[in-house]
Amino acid sequence: MTSRRVRSVALMLVGAFLLAIWTVPILLAVVTSLKDEKEVLAYPPTFWFAPTLKSFHAVLFGPTNILGDLVTSLIIAVATTVLTIVIAVPAAYAFARLKLPGRKPLGFYVLATQLVPPIGLIIPYFLILNRIGWMDSYKGLVLIYMTFSLPFAIWLLVSYFEDIPREMEEAALIDRANRWQALWHVVLPQARGAIAVTVIFVFLNAWNEFLFAVVLGGANVRPVTVSMYNYINTEQTQWAQLAAAALMAMLPVIVLGLAAQKHIVNGLTAGAVKGVGRR
Amino acid sequence: MSPQQRLALVEKPERRFALTLVAPGVLVLAVTTTFPLVYLVWQSLQNINLAMPGMERFVGVDNYVRMWGDARFWAAFAFTLIYSGATVSLQLVIGLGMALVILQIPRAQWAFRMAAILPIVLAPVVAGLFWRSLMLTPDFGIVDFASRSLGLGSHNWLGDPTLARVSVIAIHTWQWTPFVFLYMLAALAALPADLYEAARIDRASAWKRFIHITLPLIRPAIVVVVILRITVALSAFAAIYAATGGGPGTVTEIINLYAYRVSFVELSLGYGAAAAVVLLVLTLLVAGLLFRIRR
Amino acid sequence: MKALHSRRKVLQAAAAGVALAGAPWVSKFARAQGAPDLGAYQKAKINWRLAEGQTVNVAVIPASYFENLIALTPEFEALTGVKVRYDKVPPGQIRQKCVLDLSSKTGNISTHAADPMYLPLYAANKWTEPLEPYLNDPKLTDQAWFRYDDIFEAWRKADMVENRTYGIPYDGEMTVQTYRKDLFDAKGLKPAQTLDDVVANAKALHDPNNRMWGFCLRGMPGAGQNMYIYPSILGAYGGKWFDRDGKIRVNSPEAVAALEWYVNTNNAYAPKAAQNWNWPDIADAFAQGTIACYIDGHTAATVIANPERSKVVGKIGFARWPKGPSGKRVTSIWNWAMPINSALPERTRQATWLYIQWAACEETQIRSSFKFKGPGKRYGVNRTSLWSNPEYTKTIADAGDKFLSTSIETLREDTDVDWRPRVAQWPAIGETMAKIIQAALVGQAKPKPALDDAQQQVERIMKGG
Repeated sequence: MTSRRVRSVALMLVGAFLLAIWTVPILLAVVTSLKDEKEVLAYPPTFWFAPTLKSFHAVLFGPTNILGDLVTSLIIAVATTVLTIVIAVPAAYAFARLKLPGRKPLGFYVLATQLVPPIGLIIPYFLILNRIGWMDSYKGLVLIYMTFSLPFAIWLLVSYFEDIPREMEEAALIDRANRWQALWHVVLPQARGAIAVTVIFVFLNAWNEFLFAVVLGGANVRPVTVSMYNYINTEQTQWAQLAAAALMAMLPVIVLGLAAQKHIVNGLTAGAVKGVGRR
Repeated sequence: MSPQQRLALVEKPERRFALTLVAPGVLVLAVTTTFPLVYLVWQSLQNINLAMPGMERFVGVDNYVRMWGDARFWAAFAFTLIYSGATVSLQLVIGLGMALVILQIPRAQWAFRMAAILPIVLAPVVAGLFWRSLMLTPDFGIVDFASRSLGLGSHNWLGDPTLARVSVIAIHTWQWTPFVFLYMLAALAALPADLYEAARIDRASAWKRFIHITLPLIRPAIVVVVILRITVALSAFAAIYAATGGGPGTVTEIINLYAYRVSFVELSLGYGAAAAVVLLVLTLLVAGLLFRIRR
Repeated sequence: MKALHSRRKVLQAAAAGVALAGAPWVSKFARAQGAPDLGAYQKAKINWRLAEGQTVNVAVIPASYFENLIALTPEFEALTGVKVRYDKVPPGQIRQKCVLDLSSKTGNISTHAADPMYLPLYAANKWTEPLEPYLNDPKLTDQAWFRYDDIFEAWRKADMVENRTYGIPYDGEMTVQTYRKDLFDAKGLKPAQTLDDVVANAKALHDPNNRMWGFCLRGMPGAGQNMYIYPSILGAYGGKWFDRDGKIRVNSPEAVAALEWYVNTNNAYAPKAAQNWNWPDIADAFAQGTIACYIDGHTAATVIANPERSKVVGKIGFARWPKGPSGKRVTSIWNWAMPINSALPERTRQATWLYIQWAACEETQIRSSFKFKGPGKRYGVNRTSLWSNPEYTKTIADAGDKFLSTSIETLREDTDVDWRPRVAQWPAIGETMAKIIQAALVGQAKPKPALDDAQQQVERIMKGG
């Protein structure tokens, strides 16, 4: 009994330590955003100070605020995510479950398109978007973002789809349901957790993209990753405001993550409970 | 039913269905990535230097030949391998370890999941910057402060070549391990409980259970997550750029960063494109290898 | 208690909501209130509306001197009927983005805040317009009103390539010695007149155990980072970039001596972190009271003389660069130059010229500096006349002891147009030199072998490899 106790306590400690390492930099950002600019770089670092919301106010309402850019990022990320999921889910299902002709080479091709290094793509994309007049526009950025989120989403989903037991689909097919119905009514509900996880990561990738946003965006479309970087301006780095902006930029994804939590949990435990009839 | 009839009844419709499902995705990718790839390769066969207009010419594989003898390229190549290998291994070991640990504390799981998502959500550019200026600056940063208080002294975390390499690997690992953690958590939680029961009854130790039961079952998941993480590590850019800019000197330059410098700072677009192509080939080889061992 | 708490929350939310909804409305109202006084501009004998209806896209870096200009832009739009859009690009990316746009001739960016060291590159590729035709065309420029010669000569020259102007300076800076007057006075020290004085002063005040470092220079690698300071030291040693045959030579004996001084002094008296520091980092450290003396841009006053950021306000002194063994003092020549993209149609180019003329003219410089209704101070207006205008100098003189006189003197006496090699290959050369300087700073290489290595690389770059 005691050795078990010791083990749990040890596990808790290890867990707590890991938790600390992972959250300390974020806590640092939070603390920094609440400090006065003068305090930020004080050394030894001060942990007790009078917090102020000045930086948040400046970042959200001041002359160089990021509010509009947060909306821009939201539009781009949502559009990218929706389009990506709509295309990737059926594709992943096909790769994972169906007798797709040329499955292996096609699968590798999809993966390979994501592997082209971004710097190699900047110039061609710049030229293409200018050519078709989609430069510095929402549709241009969404199109480019999809080129890296599609393969990512497909691959993330394929492995989850492969783990879903076949029996239910086969039962549905025997019951004279057609394939679309099987996909929609049987498979998708089971894959809810997987889709939720994929949504979060696709959204996140689109949200945090910087290089393409800088080069292919401009006066009209400026995602928050670019405008946030502008707190590191030519004369000084406005640390508190940068921290505040970074935190504000993290919020939407965290909210999305919280909302998707439910589905992730359901998706995960469903698989464990079923357990029966695995490969 | 004859084989041909079976084929017609079951397989052909299934094939068509499969193709319809896959078509939109493959089409989008083909349309948007083929031209850039062709353009990139074509550019790598030219000598284009924006600073010397009028000297552009087709040089075939000259850029690649030059790269073969370019010490800075090989240094970047070596560090790319070290960087990717180290960070992905660390991410895997730590992430998997964390997942195993957390699985045993079901009540705290949500806290860990929430905490885990935070580093991933922080923009890499900001992560690199914060690590560089607020944490790792010797004499001024918090990590330095902590290490002094612990009696480990102050170190030039980003200025000393070896420490700088360790630091950038640490930053990348810090940011992405949670991804592996979450992914592995999902994979492990989906494993059937009855297998474990059988093993426990057989008095197999925890370690044996892990090696013989868990590991083989999650191997596909491991391979997928490794592929995803390696591709990100090979093309990492923002965090290293913000933290060290490839310095001190060029020790933390990975091929991606080197190609960026060559293309966009030295304005030697042909050579930069060649570096990008080499990186692509490297990535394809690695991914292909991993793809093979997936099953 | 709970009811009070929740009511307060509701009020707060409502207030935030109103502020959020009302903010743009309020600012619009404020702008409409004072219809811009365009009288000063209309004195110019040109038709400001000759490019009416055009749109000009301007790429700028985030900086308070551009923020002020952006805030004034509605006046320009009212004056000319030309629409202006701004793309704020981070300083680390703006050169690349503009080069990309210029080289592919897509004409997305009409003008931008350009690094004058890139103008030779632009000129060699014919990406931007020579500006004499615009300056000399009476339909486009009223020379008597614009008074181009009023802009600092050093900056105008820096923006010329082979005697033709390619950019108009909007804002600029010089590098000066910045020191803690209180600490110097306490020890009876005077600001350094020679490089040896620098070392002596540093030694006297160096006390790392009490978090005071004697002297600091930037170490961060980059053409615009450590390669912004090194050329001044090179100049102080009498070094030149070109040898007698007109070839670039970076490993001359003076260059080695300069690099050795840079490396030795920084390693002895600067915090280790300085190897990776850029000017904002040094300014931050100085503002926290940990540096006794450093040499960098005078515009760092935005940080160190700002009571919201600095713990050393009122304790700062300024002086010119110290003399080197050659007896010369060399300061940086820096300004943000505004070029015109050649890939634009004629009318858009004219609209762009009107914009540039507006930005660089005296009235706008006045309105964006001491007459600006906002917190941003401008330390680098482009006109000599303004630097002797007490209304302007009043706003910046309090940065520190002798700030004004130092800035003016150094700009007049210590400039050297060939401070850095003005060739089209500058971006590559600057980067190469920057990397080996940092390598020498961190001890990865010794100065002489590092510079020899750099020489080889530079030769390859000049050949077009």
